Amino acid sequence: MRTMNSVELKARASVKPDVVLLIVVAALTALGIIMIFTASAPRLETAGGSRSAQMVRQIIYVGFGVVVMFVATSISDRTWQSLAPVVYVTALLLLLAVLSPVGAIRQGAQRWISLGIMDLQPSEVAKPAVVMALAVLLAPMTEATMRWLRIAKALAIAAVPAALVFVQPDLGTALVFGFVTVAMLFVAGTSVRQIVFLLVVGLIAVLAALELGVLHEYQVARLTGFLNSDEHALSYNYNQNQSQIAIGSGGLFGQGLFEGTQTNLAFVPSQSTDFIFTAIGEQLGFVGGALVIGLFGVMIWRILRVASQARDRFAQLTAAGIAAMLAFHVFVNVGMTLGILPVTGIPLPFISYGGSFYMSMGLCVGVVNSIWMRRARVPGQRQMPE
Amino acid sequence: MEARPRRPNGRLMSVGIVLALIWTLLGYRLTIVQGADAEAFAAQGLQQRLERRTLAADRGTIVDRDGRELAVTVDSTTVYANPMEIEDPVAVARVLAPLVGREVRDVLDDLGTDTEFVYIARQLDPSVAEPVREADLAGVYLLTEPKRVYPAGALAAHVVGFVRSDDNIGLEGLELYYDAELAGRPGSLLVERDPRGLAIPQGEYRVEPAEPGSDLVLTIKSEIQFAATEALAAALERTGAAAGSVVVIDPETGEILAMVNLPTYDPNARGDIPAEALRNRAVTDVFEPGSTQKVVTISGALETGLVGPGSPFEIPEEIAIQDTVFEDFTEHGDVLTVTEIVTYSSNLGTILIGEELGARRLHTYMSAFGQGAVTGVDFPGEAPGVLRAPEDWCLATCVAGTSIGYHVSVTALQMAMVYATVANDGVWVQPHLVSEIVRADGTREGFDGIERRVLSAVTAAQMRSMLQAVVELGTGALAAVPGYRVGGKTGTTERYVEAEQAYSDDDVVASFIGMAPIADPRVVVAVVLDSPVRDATGGRGAAPVFSAVTLAALNQLGVVPDAG
Repeated sequence: MRTMNSVELKARASVKPDVVLLIVVAALTALGIIMIFTASAPRLETAGGSRSAQMVRQIIYVGFGVVVMFVATSISDRTWQSLAPVVYVTALLLLLAVLSPVGAIRQGAQRWISLGIMDLQPSEVAKPAVVMALAVLLAPMTEATMRWLRIAKALAIAAVPAALVFVQPDLGTALVFGFVTVAMLFVAGTSVRQIVFLLVVGLIAVLAALELGVLHEYQVARLTGFLNSDEHALSYNYNQNQSQIAIGSGGLFGQGLFEGTQTNLAFVPSQSTDFIFTAIGEQLGFVGGALVIGLFGVMIWRILRVASQARDRFAQLTAAGIAAMLAFHVFVNVGMTLGILPVTGIPLPFISYGGSFYMSMGLCVGVVNSIWMRRARVPGQRQMPE
Repeated sequence: MEARPRRPNGRLMSVGIVLALIWTLLGYRLTIVQGADAEAFAAQGLQQRLERRTLAADRGTIVDRDGRELAVTVDSTTVYANPMEIEDPVAVARVLAPLVGREVRDVLDDLGTDTEFVYIARQLDPSVAEPVREADLAGVYLLTEPKRVYPAGALAAHVVGFVRSDDNIGLEGLELYYDAELAGRPGSLLVERDPRGLAIPQGEYRVEPAEPGSDLVLTIKSEIQFAATEALAAALERTGAAAGSVVVIDPETGEILAMVNLPTYDPNARGDIPAEALRNRAVTDVFEPGSTQKVVTISGALETGLVGPGSPFEIPEEIAIQDTVFEDFTEHGDVLTVTEIVTYSSNLGTILIGEELGARRLHTYMSAFGQGAVTGVDFPGEAPGVLRAPEDWCLATCVAGTSIGYHVSVTALQMAMVYATVANDGVWVQPHLVSEIVRADGTREGFDGIERRVLSAVTAAQMRSMLQAVVELGTGALAAVPGYRVGGKTGTTERYVEAEQAYSDDDVVASFIGMAPIADPRVVVAVVLDSPVRDATGGRGAAPVFSAVTLAALNQLGVVPDAG
């Protein structure tokens, strides 16, 4: 066995990102661009505009997203750790700004800040910000030292942006913060007893919210409509029912691009954003749907693998939090279109149309690669290969 | 100093396992939706894209006995819009409103409705289609719809009736009575459509053609109908009557040659038709017949053999029954034969004969003539009239009042049928308005009515001679028809005022019912005037109408004038 000097080691450990992860991201992105085209072109054409307008915008967003991803990778995970409080506070300020008159209202929700060329969605900025802030807070903890005070602080870190997002209103994104917090608390060493206690408190909070009317009527109706699916097939369950009809119509191999009668004919809403998995299912069939779910499975496996090899607790918790966040998006989004979860309006990472979302997810993957490429650097000593 | 994380990390492993389970669930559900349940979902999808559109069946045409069109269906242009597809409703309304003859504001209101379909204007002349098409307005569409048109206008309005304009369903008259035959069976068209309701090219498509409705050939003869309308209108003008009816029947076949009521309406331009103008009074309204009813009493007495035409009766000054005092209103001698009783319309003579006949037998003849029951004419809403059981007659004036046409209510058609029975040698033949139903495949179905003998031919002939005397010597002089020998009977009835429980002394129903030529009658004509104020008797008010209508009818039917 040959020994390596430190220069060789540095080159091997730091230069190569996780290529499999990048290939998966590239594949999902490419598929997303195609599906956005098929889902938007017929509607744009009917409206008298350019068929490819939405697809072209998404390609531009992807360009920005790739830049964001490489910048994030080039920044050391240590630097990210020290930046985390700044990023978190910035995200909170943006979330406050969006609720002020600066925020733009689209489809009844105040979620965007118009930047001229594109709209910024601060709730997307908040996703990686919350993950890294939690990682900073929880990094010193072990199973033995995890205390309720620390858990409460973690909950507060997530609760502030979650509340700001919730009032936009955007229930789905608020739920993302909740799930990520629970997952990171678990990885950080919170006992199962403590987790169960938190979940029970969370459930009581949800029931109280239903009782006190904090939720919007449509949000309650979607949830109750989901629980009594047959009665509401034509009202609040309409979207979900249409979505399943579309996916079911796809069969094994799908009906082919632009041949989806349900999605192309606009029976399904938000086809290029929240319901894009529907377009995939109808046009590309089981093969396409299974491929997408499989690619996401690979993506999350790769990120968990990065987490397991991270050089410190901050890096590990950050990677695990990102994995949990991506997994939650995929599960809730696909589960919604397949009728096993209620409609909450969460997009599908790297596939759904949207600039802020793509860049946010790109940043997350960039940070994951930053962690991966610097996994061997341990403070005070150079790790030697076995 | 942070601790170096353990590798492998048990908690990360747990997260991985949970996520793997969730991924398995997603995969399982995908397999169900796209595998096991795929066909059901696909079928559900097709179901919601399929739309059944109704293809209207051509409604049958209604023609008179000579083939003149009374009700036909033509193509009309309907303009509708999908407000969802209209970006600038104001501009569209400005262009569209003058083309369809509506106010811009009204059209704008329609375009502002939150639907995908709204009628802008229905059943317009087809010439509107071209300018609307040329205006090329996005979201505005044209539709060819069948529209019912009545070329004869008001001429036979009460008989023909009309349809509801938006769906051509019969609402009144023969349009209602024969709706099932006229309507045919609508077909259907199955198209695949998108959520905006637009048909998908090459989508599933199945057509079930409509079965056209049958045509109706009426017994009505337009010329007689027209002459009757003219004569009745003149009489209403002359007498100041509020309303009136004329019924012309072929006594041998029961065919109704004319049925006219005034006031009337134009079925092509109906706004709110007042109830007075809407009713086919000859069939739906009842009145107490008065003296025309004497034919029933006398012919019953003749038929039973109680009296002959020459049997003499000594006529008293008056007859008092209970609180009622009966008198005669015409000058005549102390002794009258049965013929003279009819000729001079003697109430007292008829009462004497009626008392001899008795309530039970009189009731039998009234029933046999069809009083108190519908004639069964093919028309909706026929009134049966009122004929009480004989036991109840003495609540009023027993046989006396009934024998001269009080305490019994009849329709003009029922009364015309009494005379048609006399005209047809004693046989009652069911009246009808439709002689033939002509189906789309060319097969024809004639009218199959009932007949019944009420009087012997001898009694009928004796009765006709008496009726001839009425016109030639008695109260019906103004009913005479130049060139023909005719017979008939006048009737003037005080109207019973329900509110006062008494007969009015100034509100009357004046009638004349007769037949011609008297030797072998071809037509029976009944004239009823409602509340005339001048010439307010059957002899002066109604008889001239009979004369005019009968002359026109005989001419139209080509009946040779009587010699001498």
